[in-house]
Amino acid sequence: MKRLALTLLAAVALPGIAHAQATDTATADVGVSGTVAKLCMLGTPTPAPVDVGQMANTSGARVGKIAVIAPRTVTLPGSFCNFAGSAITVTATALVSNDASAVEPGFAKAVNYTADVTNWAAGSATVTTAATAGGGSPTASATGPTQPAPKVADLDVTLSNFTAPSDFLLTAGAYSGLVVVKLGPVASGGE
Amino acid sequence: MTHNLKRLAALSAAAVAIAWSGAAAAQSSDTDTKNFAVVGNVPAMCVGGTIAGTGGTFDMGVLIDINTGLLRTDLAAPPKVLSGSFCSARSTITVNATPMAAQTFTSTPPAGFSRVVDYTATASGWTTTPAAFATGAGSNPAAVQTRATAFSGDITVSVGSFSTNGGATQRLVADTNYQGNVTVTLAVAS
Repeated sequence: MKRLALTLLAAVALPGIAHAQATDTATADVGVSGTVAKLCMLGTPTPAPVDVGQMANTSGARVGKIAVIAPRTVTLPGSFCNFAGSAITVTATALVSNDASAVEPGFAKAVNYTADVTNWAAGSATVTTAATAGGGSPTASATGPTQPAPKVADLDVTLSNFTAPSDFLLTAGAYSGLVVVKLGPVASGGE
Repeated sequence: MTHNLKRLAALSAAAVAIAWSGAAAAQSSDTDTKNFAVVGNVPAMCVGGTIAGTGGTFDMGVLIDINTGLLRTDLAAPPKVLSGSFCSARSTITVNATPMAAQTFTSTPPAGFSRVVDYTATASGWTTTPAAFATGAGSNPAAVQTRATAFSGDITVSVGSFSTNGGATQRLVADTNYQGNVTVTLAVAS
């Protein structure tokens, strides 16, 4: 009983009055914990904005109609998600004339294109706009396949397949469109 | 000491919590969005199209009434159609014409005679009011018409209202070749 009592005393006293003890070493465990939030970050699109320049033929059999426009690639460097189960959503808005007036018969005031985001999951996130000749319904959206692991990568957004609705003549003026790339968890990736 | 340690630990936890919430506010979240603009342009341009049918000449045939030597009053020719014309922006259409003049008899004709036939050329289909040019008129304000919008369509060019230069009593000198010219111009309007 005496030994047991001494042991108990030591066990209770040791953490509390360690400095008061005559021994030169004491040990205590302090738990350290933390959390890492789910995080996705996209690099700054480079180069941006994208200027495809003059879009209509000025001579030849297709004069006034859309010319062959070379594909353009924009990179979002160092994009990452620190968790598994992420996906890219790409939303593209067709190039539409900044002139709000109604389009004339035989003319279009919109240029559609395909936006393709690669280098995230096994497949790419691809969307093709389908604006009308009058510039209606210019925006389209699509979500790519799921990336099953945390990943960091340079995302490439390729714009290609520029076409005019019904291959009509293009109305003169300045045109502008928009590409929005969204990276997030699959559940909210399709918003 | 125990209490002090606990208090320190509690303070540390509070500090971590504050720091973490500060970091969370600065970060976006589990979702990030970036966007960039895509721009391009289409120049204003006009294309005049091509003349359909049997070529670009209004063949008026014999110009005079062979019983009187005066200009026929029933001169007519089918209109010419310029197809495939368009302007991608606001535009003007201008018609210009030169009188039909004797090409061989080029000297000044004797009194009572004329070597020039005036007429009116009209280009319609492009504007609400057709562009018209009268070769005998001092000025032709109607020769230039403006269309406020882009347009694609046929332009019909016709000639009419023939008259003898110098007056209806003048007789035309004989010549196998009376010739004039009609020019239709489409231009981008500023």
